[in-house]
Amino acid sequence: MGILCLGLNHQTAPVEIREIFAVSESRLGEHSGRLCEVEGVEESVVLSTCNRTEYYAAAVDCGVASDHLREFLQSQAGSRLRVEHLYEKQQLEAARHLCRVVSGIDSMVLGETEIFGQVKKAYQAALEKGATARSLNQLFQKAFGVGKKVRTNTSIQQGQTSVGSVAVDLAEKIFGHLRDSKVMVIGAGEISRMTAKSLLSRGARSIFVTNRSYERAKELANELNGESVRFDQWHEVLQEVDVVISSTGAPHAVMKREHVEAVRRKRRYRPLFAIDIAVPRDIEVEVGDIEEVYLYDIDALKEIAMEGKGQRADQIKLCERIIDQELIESGLFGS
Amino acid sequence: MAQWLLVVATVLVVFGGVWGATSFRPGGRNIGTLSCMILAFICQMGVLGIRGELRGKCPLGDYGEILAFLAWALVLFYLVVGPAYRLSLLGLFTAPVVAVFQVVAVLPGVMDRDPVAVVEVDPWGEAHAAFSVLSYGAFALAAIAALMFLVLNKKLKDQQLGSSLFRKLPPARSLLDSIVRLTSIGAGILTIGIISAFLMERDSALGSHLIAAIATWLAYLAVVFMYFWRGITPRRLSSSVIVVFILSLLVFAFV
Repeated sequence: MGILCLGLNHQTAPVEIREIFAVSESRLGEHSGRLCEVEGVEESVVLSTCNRTEYYAAAVDCGVASDHLREFLQSQAGSRLRVEHLYEKQQLEAARHLCRVVSGIDSMVLGETEIFGQVKKAYQAALEKGATARSLNQLFQKAFGVGKKVRTNTSIQQGQTSVGSVAVDLAEKIFGHLRDSKVMVIGAGEISRMTAKSLLSRGARSIFVTNRSYERAKELANELNGESVRFDQWHEVLQEVDVVISSTGAPHAVMKREHVEAVRRKRRYRPLFAIDIAVPRDIEVEVGDIEEVYLYDIDALKEIAMEGKGQRADQIKLCERIIDQELIESGLFGS
Repeated sequence: MAQWLLVVATVLVVFGGVWGATSFRPGGRNIGTLSCMILAFICQMGVLGIRGELRGKCPLGDYGEILAFLAWALVLFYLVVGPAYRLSLLGLFTAPVVAVFQVVAVLPGVMDRDPVAVVEVDPWGEAHAAFSVLSYGAFALAAIAALMFLVLNKKLKDQQLGSSLFRKLPPARSLLDSIVRLTSIGAGILTIGIISAFLMERDSALGSHLIAAIATWLAYLAVVFMYFWRGITPRRLSSSVIVVFILSLLVFAFV
């Protein structure tokens, strides 16, 4: 029996195509069952996340199964689905691909752990529906084992590679869970928007947005589900927040030492994480001299991100080696 | 027998610390370190049980017993706080302190080989001694958490984020919460110890030992009061907790 993987992900297809094939968690089993009805397909598992939808199949003749699967997918998306949106992998390549997916090295956020659970749920749903048998059971069990080994023996999830993710990592190092943390964005620029979004996605409780143009502040506050603050009143919010992200186009410092000194007592000397991503800088360097303030400017964040990239490249190589070694040792899937 | 058990407990603690250093997983419970600490804790209970039998009272009759009791209290608080709040590396930082206490306790002459059993026991005196040393377990662990915070704070301030130690240390807020929690618990337990001291039979109205205990109690109360009343910078809180612990330990060693 051969193994086949046909799929589309964030690298091959835009979101408007991916959403056509998106399957909710509760219907994964049903879709896997339906796929088994496609001619040539003996077993199947459908995996669907926000970044990918993949169809794993076991077939006597992978070529025949692939043709019918493509027809099946074409019938769902019509002319919008183009050949380059789909990738196809067979046998060892398919097994290697699943191991990469489970290990998080094929993810948009490299090394993310959520994907492991998502694949497990997809497989469990197919198993319960009776859509899998020996071939796919072996494949998925092997992939889970390899995924665990990769995460245990490498530090693939460590070290961030973008300014936003570095900032989020640092915020978590200072505050732990961000669910009790409040954030203030000074200046409604793109990087601060992305950074604020990253903080929110990791649980930050509330967000204040201030900008010279109050309309722009309101717009971003709405987008982030936060609260807008007039630019001449931002320092009044300072006593409440734990994280400040500043990225105005001002030619001089916006946040000065005296602003922080004025609210230290009211803040009860709680830690304050100040992220200055503006050039020229928005936050006076002396703010970083205050005991409980951790000040990071764009250069510091970029330097950390660069270190993260270097570490990641080495870790990816190590992950690939583990995956290859495990698959070869298994003697399965044509290895 | 008690000394040998203490040696076993020390070996277990050191082994647990080394295990913690070599098989670390961020945010996860280190079962190896935890198991070693639990086994060490059982051995410590054995030590204190044997010494209690020999003395016929709470085993706090010499420096060796006090150090063994303190090490036990420290491990007790570690077992309560460390795994529950997932404070990575707390075991690793605690192990050397416990080991030092126990190594000193087993040095020849520190722990009486043949302690004299008492005929009559003053329950308030026993309560004073036991609660006071127990509170020191909490203060010791608070000092360890404070040291961890100072290391993390220095790395965050200096933007030295590449080290493995930085990645392994728990978040600053978790450490600060633990420092406050442990200091408050320690101060509460010491309050009972101080009250017991006033109720026990004493030779003089206010001996130097009791004065030292009250001074320690007031110092910790001042730290806790400052934190809850007007706030205190995390670095000052940590430094205060460490300084007060070391000073009070030195005072008790020489008073």
